[in-house]
Amino acid sequence: MSTAEYEPTTEYESTAHYESDVTVLEEQFVEPKSVGPIELESQDVSVWFGKRKVLEGVNIAFPKNTVTALIGPSGCGKSTYIRTLNRLHELIPGAALAGSVLYEGKDIYDTDIDPVHIRLQIGMVFQKPNPFPSMTIRGNVLSGLKLSGMKRDQHDDIVEETLTSAGLWNEVKDRLDSAAGELSGGQQQRLVIARALAVQPHVLLMDEPCSALDPTSTLKIEETVRELSKDITIVIVTHNMQQAVRVSDYTAFFLAAENEPGYVIEQGPTTDIFGSPQDQRTLDYVNGRFG
Amino acid sequence: MTQVLDREQIAEWSAQKPQRPWTKKPARLQAWIAVAALLPAALVALIFMYTDIPGPILLVAVYFPLQLLAAGIAAVATKGRQGAADSVIIVLAVGATLFSFIILTSVLGSLIARGLEALWGEDGFRSSFLFQNNVYINPSTPLEYGGLGHAVIGTLMIVLIASLIAVPIGIATAIYITEVRGRAVPYVRFFVQAMSGIPSIVAGLFILTVLIVSGAMNQSAFAGGLAYAILMLPTVARTAEEVLRLIPEELRTGALALGSTRARVVLRVVIPAAKTGVITAIILGVARVIGETAPLLLTSLKSDQTILNPIADPIAALPTYIFDNVALPYPGAVTRAWGAALVLMILVLILFTLARILGRDRLNRFR
Repeated sequence: MSTAEYEPTTEYESTAHYESDVTVLEEQFVEPKSVGPIELESQDVSVWFGKRKVLEGVNIAFPKNTVTALIGPSGCGKSTYIRTLNRLHELIPGAALAGSVLYEGKDIYDTDIDPVHIRLQIGMVFQKPNPFPSMTIRGNVLSGLKLSGMKRDQHDDIVEETLTSAGLWNEVKDRLDSAAGELSGGQQQRLVIARALAVQPHVLLMDEPCSALDPTSTLKIEETVRELSKDITIVIVTHNMQQAVRVSDYTAFFLAAENEPGYVIEQGPTTDIFGSPQDQRTLDYVNGRFG
Repeated sequence: MTQVLDREQIAEWSAQKPQRPWTKKPARLQAWIAVAALLPAALVALIFMYTDIPGPILLVAVYFPLQLLAAGIAAVATKGRQGAADSVIIVLAVGATLFSFIILTSVLGSLIARGLEALWGEDGFRSSFLFQNNVYINPSTPLEYGGLGHAVIGTLMIVLIASLIAVPIGIATAIYITEVRGRAVPYVRFFVQAMSGIPSIVAGLFILTVLIVSGAMNQSAFAGGLAYAILMLPTVARTAEEVLRLIPEELRTGALALGSTRARVVLRVVIPAAKTGVITAIILGVARVIGETAPLLLTSLKSDQTILNPIADPIAALPTYIFDNVALPYPGAVTRAWGAALVLMILVLILFTLARILGRDRLNRFR
């Protein structure tokens, strides 16, 4: 496998091409061609843990079939924010929230919305790979179907399809019935991505999916993310600025001053955030001067 | 173009109030829950009033299945088939909880009601029952005279001796298994496991034949403490092993990487991290033995006097005091036995509360 030959995204490639022509740039990125309707949107979302406000006034819209990267230093509330998007936030004792999160135009925090249904449609991949240790590779991929009670036929096809889109099929096709714990960290992470895909989510939230992985596995997962974004909307938290540039269409920069809640300092097309940020702090952060 | 944080909106945002929308249930669901909770109870109450079916049978054979059915219907109506499984599990869990709660409260209730008869008379609170001993008291003596002070001292003495022996050995065993990881670990674990199966009377018999009949020691608090220690040891060792096992390996390697010796890793890092768990292990060990009667009947016998010498003479303890009094055909003696049972329970409560306070983890309170 030649994983080193990673091809940059088309958007990014084109930036380099038109670098000198600002008007063309703006036309292309203010309204990128691929942008569909807004699928997921948070409006004035603020988050508390107990009495402490950790996040304030987050307004981000996630267009359908795009990748949005959330960047910012540790402790600025990125992971907390991503957990409000599929109602995992409420599982933490003392958690509270204000504002609303709209999924397909409807507030997911409405009282008559079943959180189980929301989490089925808005999947999540966590920082540490968490395959179920008691299940085989095949069992892990299909576990979402069993756990959610979802009915889908042709399990063998699902296993092959999702493992292929997660970029793992070739490595595990001969040992689908061995334990998931035998896989390496990077393989495990791609396995849990496949597991998340098997329930056919419309949105996939990824909380620093590559932070524990080596560069090769990271590149594979980035390829997977680009590939998946043709069909689903992806929100990815990352500490790796190059990764944000490589995989995302849009970027939001979070920052929290000491003892203050985190804010989205700046957001927009990834090329603009990295190429022509308007806020000094964004410029400093994306150039690696702090954080 | 990028979109920058609008400073003017911050005032607006800071006026937001924290909310927990997930705690609210939709009105339709609330209505269903109310109906599903009240209807079966009302129905069973009616049956109870107009028929002669005994209450417990009604509760188990009619109310419980009815409640399951009602919860299932309500769940299907509000959340579909998936909800039905949830509701069945909730009803079963709540039912099982209530069942054990009822058993616990009825035991406690009868214990408190009967026990207070001994501790509380027409003359008010009888401190004499707590502080006097049983000398010159016979089964028909009024409850105003005599008490179990000598047995409280005896029980405390025996449990203290047992703890002094079993706790260090038990924790050392756990450390051997989880930290030293010597070659004998499988055998040690096997023997600890086997030891936890020793019937309490066998522990008593062992001390009786090996140490008392042979003439090595008298029947005394020390002999009783040894018998208790045999019973306590496996409980302490196994519980401590479980909690030490929960300490992440990274903590040990982290300490070793700072140049620590194995012994310091255990004493300064592992044990402090597992402090609450280790104290729980000790509590469970004490709880395992404090009510044991059989070994004491063979090793410490009984006494009516207040004995303070742990090795010379037979000594009274609360379980043996209860055992002696409850079998006597005098209502006064039976009442004394109930009073002793209540005192024993309060003693356990005090010991546990004390241990919890001592073991409170100030650094980790929120985790």
